[in-house]
Amino acid sequence: MTPAGMLARTGPWMRRLFVMTRKELLQLSRDVPLLLFLVYSFTVSVYISSAGVTMQLRQAALLVHDADHSRSSRDLIHRFQPPYFALHGEVNDPAEAVRQLDHGRAMALLDIPPRFQEVLREGAQPAVQLLVDTSNAAQGLSAAGYAARIVGQFAADAAAPVSTAGQRLRPLLESEHRVWFNPDQNEAWFQSVTHLLRMITIFSILLPAAALVREKERGTVEQLLVSPLTPFQIMFSKVVAMTAVILTATAVAVFAVMQPAFHVPMRGSAVLFFLLTALFIVTSAGFGLVISTLTRNQAQVGMITLLMVAPMMLLSGISAPFESMPPWVQSLMSVSPLRYYIDVTVGILLKGVGMDLLWKPALAMVGLGAAVFSAGIWRFRAQFD
Amino acid sequence: MNARRIRAVMAKEWRETVRDRIFLLLAFLLPVLWLVVFGYGLVIDVEQIRVVAVDRDRSALSRDYLSRFMESRYFDFVGYLDSERDVDELLRTAKIRAAVIIPDRFAERLLAGEPAAVQTLLDGTFPLYTDIAKGYIVAINTAFTGDLLAERLSRVYGMTREQADRAARPVRLEVRYLYNEEVRGTWSQVPALIMFSLMLASPLLTALGVVREKESGSIYNIYSSTVSRGEFLTGKLTTYLLIAMANVLMLWAIAVWLFDVPFKGSLLLFAVASALFAMVSTGIGLVISLLVQTQMAALVITIVVSTVPTFIFSGLMVPISSMSPGGQFQAHLFPSMYYTNILRGSFLKGVGWNVLWTDVLALGVFAVVLRVWGYWLFTKRPRL
Repeated sequence: MTPAGMLARTGPWMRRLFVMTRKELLQLSRDVPLLLFLVYSFTVSVYISSAGVTMQLRQAALLVHDADHSRSSRDLIHRFQPPYFALHGEVNDPAEAVRQLDHGRAMALLDIPPRFQEVLREGAQPAVQLLVDTSNAAQGLSAAGYAARIVGQFAADAAAPVSTAGQRLRPLLESEHRVWFNPDQNEAWFQSVTHLLRMITIFSILLPAAALVREKERGTVEQLLVSPLTPFQIMFSKVVAMTAVILTATAVAVFAVMQPAFHVPMRGSAVLFFLLTALFIVTSAGFGLVISTLTRNQAQVGMITLLMVAPMMLLSGISAPFESMPPWVQSLMSVSPLRYYIDVTVGILLKGVGMDLLWKPALAMVGLGAAVFSAGIWRFRAQFD
Repeated sequence: MNARRIRAVMAKEWRETVRDRIFLLLAFLLPVLWLVVFGYGLVIDVEQIRVVAVDRDRSALSRDYLSRFMESRYFDFVGYLDSERDVDELLRTAKIRAAVIIPDRFAERLLAGEPAAVQTLLDGTFPLYTDIAKGYIVAINTAFTGDLLAERLSRVYGMTREQADRAARPVRLEVRYLYNEEVRGTWSQVPALIMFSLMLASPLLTALGVVREKESGSIYNIYSSTVSRGEFLTGKLTTYLLIAMANVLMLWAIAVWLFDVPFKGSLLLFAVASALFAMVSTGIGLVISLLVQTQMAALVITIVVSTVPTFIFSGLMVPISSMSPGGQFQAHLFPSMYYTNILRGSFLKGVGWNVLWTDVLALGVFAVVLRVWGYWLFTKRPRL
């Protein structure tokens, strides 16, 4: 075929796709509550879900029961400081502390035994007790970990006089940490990035799925089928329209909220970021299209989307560390495009890596996308032809 | 309010739900499935941190030190690297999360009783995991220092092993865990996941139940019937409320029998709070459905409104007490936090009304406000 011939054939094909895409955009633009909510989700919601939100334990309310009231016990107590702990007062009776823990007003009790200083000076290794609320296991463990660090440091300082008796020198392993990519440990970076990913995921699965099933519900899909449009054009036009909308919203979130409010960096190429974001949206939209071919009405679309989205969001590594998930979860999540897209986003935004290191997740998304699109088109044909 | 008409609306609603097989299946299956999948699959402890070592010393002592990383369940020791430069690419591709760099003369200095510094490079992209990893490393270093000191004391001063040990660690910390003595992650996650499962499924069910009628036009039958708006809303919501309560019962049974989470509190309190929370979650669906015209908008808005605040402001994963005052204020604006408190309180702490009444009251306020708002929004005379 000559190039001109190809153009003549692809011209109408592209035009049809374009017309359908325009129709989708028009239809979306007329749903005012939905549009307002879309804007809200990528702006205000990104801000309020990230400002001041931290997953780390901070200011754990600590009660103290000091039965010794000596210099040593006071020294130890005063080492429990913000940001990890906040002294919440002293109690005379440990039972009173348990009552406060019951109410959730305090998280832990530090109990210093009588004759603490005396026993310490005798070198008889006194024990201080920490009572921790572990109704939230992760937080309880963090609190216990921080307390162990503080008491360990106190012990090391208290051990120093022993060794100075003979000579000053003593072995000491110092910890030097260097944190890469986010040296100030600014948690708003992480929170806003993960929030953005949740929003992109929900919208890119749901919008195309609902748009297609709506045509089925109302019967307008029959009109489209008797038109010269191919199933691919009918489905892909919805994906193109929604991808354009979500990409714009993502750009607004990154440049108008995350950068000005939290100074989230864009260390890699912005063009690459948006290209791969488009790839992620298209892949997720493919899942949405498969859902829409399996369902008859929008209520079913909603339920099946929730069925898929909730595990994707909790288990793909944006809400909890992926490495510690059980193996079956890790293999299940290899079909979640979000699992790859998180590497892409963090890689480009925070680590400044390029395609040379991201080709694997990108390829995985392409593979998943191709698979779900083929499945979607096959199902669509099977339903209507 | 006429009880017969309410029953008629309920019967119609129930039949519509039953006849949509996928919808019915998911209405009962979804919450249960999530509880089981997340109860087993969602591990939020930070473990298996992939770490490499650059050992410039290559001594017996440095190997002894690194073996502590190999033995720890918190670390997954990937191997040795020759140079610090290779660390860079591994961190960038997230193949490792941390690297330990042991300096020259590590053993020599320590054995001579001098300080030596071990450098760790950490991936800072997930601040929570970075912080926890730092904590594990400091713990390993402290333990190693203690052992070295004890050994030195016994070697140089001729102390017995026991004396040296006591001198090297003059204070012990004994930790007692309250409410969840073995610190099982599932015990604290599963009660909160009951909240999560309910909060995700039931608003959507309700919202779609209303918007479906608005979009298909069948709501005009209601507009022109003798059913009053109070009767219509009561009948409709009661159906979804009953589905939600059936879910609560199943979720409770799974938590207690499958996950062996102890239930120490009051069943009555749990039942009342769950009924109120079911009213809240269906109320959210109702209000959203009355604010929008299309099912597509109802779908998107309900899913976002029920997932996102539930992730962030419920106490499921993010500790409320660590938030900034602004964040804590927002958490109080969403109902999930109160129900999470009640669930953890009832299951693990075994506390009753005297502690949890404020949370129950807050849920009651949410339930009433949402109902009144919904009643006010719903009108039998559609505005054009």
